[in-house]
Amino acid sequence: MALRSIASRLALGVLTGTALVVVAGGYLLFRAMGHQILEQTHRESADLAHDAGNRIEQRLDKITDTAQMLAALVGPRPDDAPSLVHDAVQHNPDLAGLSAAYIPHSAAALAAGQSPFVSRGDDGSLTTRDLLHDPAPYWDRPWFRHGLTCTTGCWEQPFFSLSRHRKLVNYSATIMAGGQAVGVLNADVTLEWLQSVLESLKKSPGTRAFVIDQQGNYLASDDPSLVGHPVQADVLSVLRRSPADPLRLVTSQHAQITEPVWIYQSPIKGTHWLIALTVPESSIYADVRQAFLLALMVGGLALLVLTVMTFAITRRIMHPLGVLTDRAEHVARGALDFALPKVRRRDEVGRLTDAFDRMRTELAQHMAELTRVAREQQRLASELEIAQQIQTALLPGAHYLDARCKNFELHAVLKPARTVGGDLYSYFMLHDRRFYIMVGDVSDKGIPAALFMARAITLAKALAPRARSPQQLLHLLNQELCRNNDGCMFVSLLCGLLDTVTGNLALASAGHEPPVWWGQHAPRLLELDTGPALGLDEEATYPTHRIRLRPGETLLMYTDGITEATDHAMTMYGQERMLACLTRQVAEGGQDPVDTLVADVEHFAAGQYQADDITVLALRWHHDGTEREGSMLDITIGASLTDVFDTLERCDEEMLAAGVEPDVQSDVRLVLEELMVNMVEHGSGTTDDRTIELRLTAADDAITVELHHDGQPFDPLQSPAPLLTGDIADTESEGGLGIHLVRAMASDFHYAHDELGNHLQLRFIYPNRPEQDHDLQSAS
Amino acid sequence: MTFSLRADHVSPQRSTLHLHGRLDAMTFGQFDAAAADVLHQMATGSTVVLDLSLLEYISSAGLRSIARIRKAMRAREGHTLLCNPQPQVRKVFEIVKAVPVNDVFASVQELDDYLDHMQRKIVDGLGEAD
Repeated sequence: MALRSIASRLALGVLTGTALVVVAGGYLLFRAMGHQILEQTHRESADLAHDAGNRIEQRLDKITDTAQMLAALVGPRPDDAPSLVHDAVQHNPDLAGLSAAYIPHSAAALAAGQSPFVSRGDDGSLTTRDLLHDPAPYWDRPWFRHGLTCTTGCWEQPFFSLSRHRKLVNYSATIMAGGQAVGVLNADVTLEWLQSVLESLKKSPGTRAFVIDQQGNYLASDDPSLVGHPVQADVLSVLRRSPADPLRLVTSQHAQITEPVWIYQSPIKGTHWLIALTVPESSIYADVRQAFLLALMVGGLALLVLTVMTFAITRRIMHPLGVLTDRAEHVARGALDFALPKVRRRDEVGRLTDAFDRMRTELAQHMAELTRVAREQQRLASELEIAQQIQTALLPGAHYLDARCKNFELHAVLKPARTVGGDLYSYFMLHDRRFYIMVGDVSDKGIPAALFMARAITLAKALAPRARSPQQLLHLLNQELCRNNDGCMFVSLLCGLLDTVTGNLALASAGHEPPVWWGQHAPRLLELDTGPALGLDEEATYPTHRIRLRPGETLLMYTDGITEATDHAMTMYGQERMLACLTRQVAEGGQDPVDTLVADVEHFAAGQYQADDITVLALRWHHDGTEREGSMLDITIGASLTDVFDTLERCDEEMLAAGVEPDVQSDVRLVLEELMVNMVEHGSGTTDDRTIELRLTAADDAITVELHHDGQPFDPLQSPAPLLTGDIADTESEGGLGIHLVRAMASDFHYAHDELGNHLQLRFIYPNRPEQDHDLQSAS
Repeated sequence: MTFSLRADHVSPQRSTLHLHGRLDAMTFGQFDAAAADVLHQMATGSTVVLDLSLLEYISSAGLRSIARIRKAMRAREGHTLLCNPQPQVRKVFEIVKAVPVNDVFASVQELDDYLDHMQRKIVDGLGEAD
């Protein structure tokens, strides 16, 4: 946890790095200083040893000089010996005793008469005795025999004098007389001063000094207990190996040498003695080690302070970053309303804080914008959904079975590629016999197409009653759609008008795919002459193609969503596959070619995005309806009054036979008379070969009249209403009465004019029966 | 024969024309001709009664004929009264508001009562004038 923060890691890093540098540097320094210190110790200790050696040498020189001088004096003058010896002892405190021992019975001995021996007592008093009187003869003693040979003086072995209770060493010098050794001057030298010399040396703590004689025994030592004992063999061997240089002894049998020591020695001239110093290595390094330890401690303390300061400074610097980190987590949770640390200075952290603040502000704006856009999109989506519902509502049902006479059946499907689409299909019944079907495809897709589709489908339905033929419907529709069509949207439309009694089908195409027709023959394309798509050319005309559907025949209309569906290899479904599918469907005796075809297309384009709306409409002509509604009259007559009235008579007969109620019958007759007489009187113009075509059809609830006249265009609906004053005698002209009657009596009245002439459709609804709206009727 | 006209009680003061059958574009000429004969004899201020009891059907052509009779009688300061129109005829009359309601009577009896009443008024008026 603690190491997770940058401050602690930085502090730890600084600590570690600095500690490494300090330790490494300290180690090197320690090595260098240690070396210097060792050198210095070597020098100092060697000097010390040398100095001590010199001091001992000077003191010994005094003794040896005295002894040799005495020896030289008492040789020729033996009788002066006792006083000389006495004086010498008295003046030299280092002498514990001095004797001039002559060879007994020698001339010198005889001349001296005695062998004087002056010794210093414990209280410092001098006593003189004659060695010749000693009970034990000295001349047989080794010191004497050996002394006779020491013409230049010899140091003898130290020994412990029982009589004087002290350690002594003898110095012997031969007394010469007449070139012959006549005796031995023997000096007993005390060794206490040697000890005091060693003790007076300025030694560093731990340093020990000692003097050894030629036999390798301690003559003197800091440790008095060692005096007289032999020096340990390893120490001795080291001492004897190279006397000049300082030596390092690692371990020793020496009880007091338990650690590595350095040994310095210096020979004492005139003797075979050595003075040696042992300096423990640890004491050499003790100071520097202590200094180093102190430095290390100070360094460590400094490091600690540095670490704490680093930690504190970093913490202080990083603190805003920590807050920013915390705030960034806020941001991640979506909360943008928080306080930011105050910017103290314009360093990186300050800039970061500023940038963070800006980012927060912009993020908030961005999020608000995003929310707004999302809400907008949601609204659009829901609007689109509603639009889809509305668009779906514009389409009639997917299945229509002519309930009245079961003459035909219709299946349709529309699958938009998006929520809303530009494809359309529609069908509706106009009066009793005429049934419009249409399939269209608006250019483009999406909402514009959907709106244009809505416009087209609504206009088509509104204009259909005015149009006698699909050709005319397309013409009217085209003119309406061209109006204010700045977007140059257009719709291809295939429109059919079915005579639900006869199966006659008039088709007109505005740039639409050719329909498929089968029944009597295998499915094949019904190629029609087509006009341009609707909405482009106001002057466009649309040729009519008429076919007659036989029982069992089917006409299938579709949009390019079928033929242009593509599979994964971008191959189009095409008309061949469509025809093949429909052929299979026919062979298998399927009932619903629409579902089969759409399923086949979907299978073909499986896994592919549906690029275009798919619409299929199939019209099957059964012709097995019981003709409850039937044509009472369907004749074409010449435009003459006689023919007209003959026809009126026939109409009366037919209606009577069909059981049409008398009041309706007379209405129909009046209207027919008015219209046909009008056609005869006004429409014929100059030629006499005009014809009037009349079709009278009875249904359950109404009578439908169709009148076609190939005369001058005359729309009865456009003629002005007559002035009705309440008395027909008031008006000068009696014109307009007939048309007024027609308009008053017919339930529905439609007029159209095309190249074939005037077309009138009228409907007379039986009173007392509710009118049924066929257009909305669809069998589920 | 789809239309026939029978003139009854023809006098310069008051004539009754019984219309029978259909009065339409085919027959109005026949009616016009027959009616003209009667109208010639009518005096100023006289009354022509059109008995429509047996008229099954009338079209705009027939309406125009009746209008012409009414105009001719109006020129003579006379009256054209209609009696007992059948449903189809009445419907047509109503649609075009062919004649004032006062001039249409439901039955011959009602018409006669009206005419007698008018007669008395005229006589009384003359008496008072005298």
